[in-house]
Amino acid sequence: MAKNTMLDEHYSKMSLMQRIAYHKYIYLILLPALVYYIVFKYVPIYGLTLAFKTYKASKGIWGSPWIGLENFHNLTINVGFLTAFKNTIIISFLKIIFGFPMPIILTLLINEMRIKKYKNVLQTIYTFPHFLSWVVVAGMCFNLFAGDGIINKFFAVVGIPQQNLLTDHKGFLGLLVGSAMWKETGWSTILYLAAITSIDTSIYEAARIDGANRFQQMIYVTIPGIAAMMATNLVLSCGHVMDAGFDQVFNMYNAAVFDVADIIDSYVYRITFQQTPDFGFSTAVGMFKGVVNLILILTVNKVVKSFGQKGIV
Amino acid sequence: MASLSRKSKLNSWNYADVIIFIVLTLFGLIILYPFYNTLLISLVTEGEYIRRPFMLWPEEPTLRAYWYVFKSPLIVSGFRTSLIVTVVGTIYSMFFTVSIAYALMKNFPGRGIFKAMLLFTMYFAGGLIPTYLLMKDLKLLDTLWVLILPTGATVNYIILLQRFFEEVPLELEESAKLDGCSEVGVLFKIILPLSLPSLATFGLYYAVGRWNAWYDGMLYIKDVEKQPIQTVLRTIIQNAAAVQGEAVGTDTDMDKVYAEGVKMASVFVTILPIMCVYPFLQRYFVSGLTAGAVKS
Repeated sequence: MAKNTMLDEHYSKMSLMQRIAYHKYIYLILLPALVYYIVFKYVPIYGLTLAFKTYKASKGIWGSPWIGLENFHNLTINVGFLTAFKNTIIISFLKIIFGFPMPIILTLLINEMRIKKYKNVLQTIYTFPHFLSWVVVAGMCFNLFAGDGIINKFFAVVGIPQQNLLTDHKGFLGLLVGSAMWKETGWSTILYLAAITSIDTSIYEAARIDGANRFQQMIYVTIPGIAAMMATNLVLSCGHVMDAGFDQVFNMYNAAVFDVADIIDSYVYRITFQQTPDFGFSTAVGMFKGVVNLILILTVNKVVKSFGQKGIV
Repeated sequence: MASLSRKSKLNSWNYADVIIFIVLTLFGLIILYPFYNTLLISLVTEGEYIRRPFMLWPEEPTLRAYWYVFKSPLIVSGFRTSLIVTVVGTIYSMFFTVSIAYALMKNFPGRGIFKAMLLFTMYFAGGLIPTYLLMKDLKLLDTLWVLILPTGATVNYIILLQRFFEEVPLELEESAKLDGCSEVGVLFKIILPLSLPSLATFGLYYAVGRWNAWYDGMLYIKDVEKQPIQTVLRTIIQNAAAVQGEAVGTDTDMDKVYAEGVKMASVFVTILPIMCVYPFLQRYFVSGLTAGAVKS
């Protein structure tokens, strides 16, 4: 909430114009921000009208002729889009199914680690990949998993048939999920560990007096202590199913796995910049995603708030 | 739990502790191995890699790949672009974060509308094509500005910073004002100095984000000499197609250089800046995340 100053006794008696004059410096400070948001955020939102138009470069967004819902109608019968839509949801859910439990397991293990210095070193290592770009991670992955990469060389030695995970349908999905977990699991433990430190230590004392061993303390005290955060994270990640991870997919995929790996964002990019573009149709695809996203996020925010947690700020 | 672990001595370890130790160490190795592999490949010749793919350290290390990387005009120009964008872009983003967070502390007429306008951009955006056409209309394509101007402040950081600002005792602000300090003076003399740790945290996030940005460089900049390092790196990695193992570029020197080694050397120099600061600044990196969760 906004702060009230002691000068506010006068303030409450002021007229609107006086209040505006009183805050003149605040408006001055905000002016650049206002310009920024209008130009770079709201003008593109206005540009979404393109989804209901057919784009004529000579006339711009404003002058291009309206065609109603035709772009959206084309969307429902476009095979490329429908595949991308399906892939987006499948990849998102695969990431949730495998990516959601891992940080919790890792958190519980870290919490039981007794050598504090070693624990800090490990946490520094675990959280580091979060700060790398997917360009970098994809580069490292290619080297490891390519047909002649070290993983395949290892497979050859132990007698597992060689396969190129980068071009194999199932293998590539596994690589997407695995590399996302490699990058983000450590970072996701931080919030859980913070939640554990806020558990009242007297609850542990009481459990110990009742004869609970370490494992029982974990099951009956630690896990219930972070259950609310687990639920929040799960619901929030369901709100992001339309974002299957453009940065990752776009840097890692190739034509051999388009059928299973092309997601809505990468599909929009490809049809716009790598084929003959239909800006109206591309915008309609983007807008469809945006609207579904908006509905999902507002819904999960409501759900999360209903069980007493703070939603996405 | 923490109090229990502190009390117990190392010699009271049981099987569970040993297993936990091993599992956590293994996970650490899984995180570290790709980096080590990258470093190894960048330091060996193709011949040595083919001879001893499972080497733990290089027998005849060579800096050829790094020599090639630092001689490559694209990587040098990419570094220069990214450095400029990181410095200027971070200041640009911090300016918006601080100014908006400070303004939102005040109860000015229009505050509600402004805040709603801000929050809405978190949930909904114009998307690829309208944004691209805007950059084109603003004549920003193929300029450095397009890498800086469209990326403003992160709304989450603004709201967190506003909460930090509000923790500054009201009395300090009041007394400064009574001493004749203006609104802007209060911000610079009282509030900002008291919020340095959180400013450092958000500044680091912005800097890392700018350093890692590749998409805007690919989308808006066709002139490869103006592209940032991550976009250049992407071209190197994708064009030298891991799958096919073609040579990087057309430079004749490449015949003598191990293409995979050059790629990995490029990856390594790109992550080196983050790698160098991360262990020392980890505290700031982490505090940004926990601050949002603990305060309510």
